Amino acid sequence: MIFLRRQLPLLITFVAGVVFAAQYYVPHPTSELMLTEVTKWLQIISGFALVLGVTSLFHIHAVKIRRKEPGWAYSLILYGGILGTIAAGFSYSFTAGQWVNGKETINGIVTAFGWIYSDMMVPLQGTMFAILAFFIASAAYRSFRARSREAALLLIAAIIVMMGRVPLGEMLLPVSGDVTQWILNVLNAAVRRAILIGISLGAVALSLKIIFGMERAYLGGGKE
Amino acid sequence: MTFAERMLHIDRRIIFLVIGVCTLLPLLYPVGLAIKVSPEVRGVHDYIESLPEGSVFLLSMDFDPASKPELQPQAVALLRHAFKKNLRVIGMTLWVTGTGLADLVVSQAAQEMGKVNGKDYVFLGWSPGVGSLIITMGQDLYKAFPSDYNNQPTRELAVLKGIQTLRDVNYVVSLAAGTAGIESWYVYGKDKYKFELGGGCTGVIAPGLYPLLRSGQINGLIGGLRGAAEYETLIGQKGRAVAGMDAQSATHVAIIMLVILCNVFYLLIRTSRGQSGQPRG
Amino acid sequence: MLRPLAVLVCLCLFPLTAPEAGAQQAFAPPQNLRVIDTPSDSGEGLTVLWARAGYDAPEVRYQIMLGDGAEKKMVAEFPADSHYVRDSRWPWWTRVDRPDAHQFNLKSGKGLELKNGTPYAVAVAVVKGAERVEAAPVQAVPAPNWVNWNQMNNLLLVLLFGAVVFGSIRAAKRREIFLRRIPGLDAVDEAIGRATELGKPILYLTGAGDMSEPSTIAAAVILGRVAKRVAAYETDLLVPHRDPIVMAVCQEITKQSYLEAGKPDVFREDSNFFITTDQFSYTAAVDGIMLRRKPAANFFMGSYFAEALLLTETGASTGAIQIAGTDSDHQLPFFVTTCDYTLIGEELYAASAYLSREPIQLGTLRGQDFGKAFILVVLALGTLLATVGVLFATDLPMIVLDLFKDLK
Repeated sequence: MIFLRRQLPLLITFVAGVVFAAQYYVPHPTSELMLTEVTKWLQIISGFALVLGVTSLFHIHAVKIRRKEPGWAYSLILYGGILGTIAAGFSYSFTAGQWVNGKETINGIVTAFGWIYSDMMVPLQGTMFAILAFFIASAAYRSFRARSREAALLLIAAIIVMMGRVPLGEMLLPVSGDVTQWILNVLNAAVRRAILIGISLGAVALSLKIIFGMERAYLGGGKE
Repeated sequence: MTFAERMLHIDRRIIFLVIGVCTLLPLLYPVGLAIKVSPEVRGVHDYIESLPEGSVFLLSMDFDPASKPELQPQAVALLRHAFKKNLRVIGMTLWVTGTGLADLVVSQAAQEMGKVNGKDYVFLGWSPGVGSLIITMGQDLYKAFPSDYNNQPTRELAVLKGIQTLRDVNYVVSLAAGTAGIESWYVYGKDKYKFELGGGCTGVIAPGLYPLLRSGQINGLIGGLRGAAEYETLIGQKGRAVAGMDAQSATHVAIIMLVILCNVFYLLIRTSRGQSGQPRG
Repeated sequence: MLRPLAVLVCLCLFPLTAPEAGAQQAFAPPQNLRVIDTPSDSGEGLTVLWARAGYDAPEVRYQIMLGDGAEKKMVAEFPADSHYVRDSRWPWWTRVDRPDAHQFNLKSGKGLELKNGTPYAVAVAVVKGAERVEAAPVQAVPAPNWVNWNQMNNLLLVLLFGAVVFGSIRAAKRREIFLRRIPGLDAVDEAIGRATELGKPILYLTGAGDMSEPSTIAAAVILGRVAKRVAAYETDLLVPHRDPIVMAVCQEITKQSYLEAGKPDVFREDSNFFITTDQFSYTAAVDGIMLRRKPAANFFMGSYFAEALLLTETGASTGAIQIAGTDSDHQLPFFVTTCDYTLIGEELYAASAYLSREPIQLGTLRGQDFGKAFILVVLALGTLLATVGVLFATDLPMIVLDLFKDLK
């Protein structure tokens, strides 16, 4: 059992990691074909990962409902929402005269599934994202204080960029547009590159550790 | 508590109200301020402008409904431009939750420009896997998408005639709200299959994509609603983005005023504490 | 008498004939024509090479001819003062001719088909005005290659970096590696203490990533440390998750921490719970937990996207002490403005290494630091060399600069 849970996954990781790292340096069509085959497998696995996510969700909330834990009514609502949406996706549309099959519109006619998507999901997600605009303002009012020289410099740069990114700002402060471009293209790009280098080195180091079996957190469980 | 201290601890809801009013009023009473076009947006526009009729343009709408306000206007402007240039348009998405939205955007733009599905454009939809999907498209487009979103076999579509892989696509633009997006298209797509790549993104992630722009990995970047407004200005068809710029202008100025005010109150408190010998905050 | 006169006349007439001979010399066909299979490619490509000529100028044109007999056709035409070996994107270690020789790459694509294993005849013609001269065709066979020598610099650097990382890990196993104190960790202890005093729970988030991301792994390690302190004080710990696998891993880590703290009976299975994978649904759920349970301390570790500000601003409104650690640079401004302390980028990885003291983590950090130092030196040296190359109009610095280019 230990072999199946530990040694075998580590072996597969090692072989696959070395082979596909080497694949990058092999231009021969055979290597490309191998990559295509494996990407097909990855696509299939990605599809199953979706199923896994939904199954986990179902299981956890089923336990909550069964045990009548606090907030179990919301779990019932969640079930109703998931099952209702799935049913709507598989239902028959009498107006369109065909099965919906997960389509939002059929020949321009909005299906029940499409209604759930465009009149519930889209506004709800949009609302959550829109809250950010208000939160940014309140966070800025609370925290953007020139407590030190560096904070003051940051504040000035932030004001110039905020002015430069909108037409009214460019009208009030004409130079803000060009200065904003310079800040974004020079200062910002330089700093982002530095952060990117650091993160990339971290990712390469982690990948090497995973390939050579030094990093096993992804297998789950604590220390052996 | 002094006035300055009371103002510094003002109820957040008053700030929300100010922002709400600054967003709503310009939408109801638009002003129409002039928009200056940036070189990065011009990069995308000029490349599409340079493509001859019949060239293949792939638009990957990698966003979900949460990012619709910023990225849908970009998609609409790009599609209008591409259809005006009589390019062959391929639409798709890497985000499953954005499939319906992307289909709607492409269909509406096509209908507006009098384009026919299957002949002038196709919407491929979504398929699982990000890197693996792009690589499969780079090997064989029809293996990645055997049928389009409307279940039509892709091999039989006139719009895809002569296109076998991503190498046959003249220009790809990814409109991204995060991961998966522009970086995925570069790493798994352009780096291997050598097509030209442009990008569009939400305002918050735009600064992080400037290194890709400066190094030439993408030839242009449409950032946020401002970028969409610039693109609409370039194609001469003003839409939601231009309309939204007045609201964005007012909101930005409001936030700047709030920040300046808070610093004024903060300095007042510091000064008064300094004068009275109390520790400064 | 007549003979010397005849010789003199011939000598005088010679210059009249010389220009014609010189004109034939000026329009000699391209010399040293070679056609080879393009190296380091996936096949269906040929590389045409020929020597630079004295008549190379913008008004003179070269034509590349493919095929022979009736099938011969022109596939490219360009000014004669272009397409040199030095203009190609090949690094110096894969160049197949002198930098001032001409090079043209034929690749299968639109309007041109080259099949692997099939011989093709290629010729180069030179055209000036109405004059045209063509070199004798040369045959070559395109074939795919097994090694992309253009990217050997990339492989070398990866192997070098790997060696440095593994060497650092070995060194870390043998001796103590110094790691400076991470200031944010003091704040962690302070936050846990405050929550215990107030009798309120602690909320810990591991971010949006899965277990393959370094930031999520770092967040899980820090959770172990936090859980150990929480166990000692018997404070409530709430860890809502977006990924079922991360949840499973963190559950084990938390259980282990309670065991190590000597408080296994206080451990609750449901301290780690899964909410949903959807971004804003998760955010709404966590915001609800913050507003109802009012935790005294919020930890935001891992990678975040647009939900960052929604979470932290809601947390700030409840008066909680907030500590964040993320490598998501686009969300850093929001964390910095709304949290009491923020571990930026690699401080998160360093914090997890500092807390765990595992040789692997410490060694990796040290290896990455060496990598960054190396890149800094290369940047400075590269800038200097590139400047020298431009100032003195020389290609010598390219010997070093090519080593760090991304070439395909």
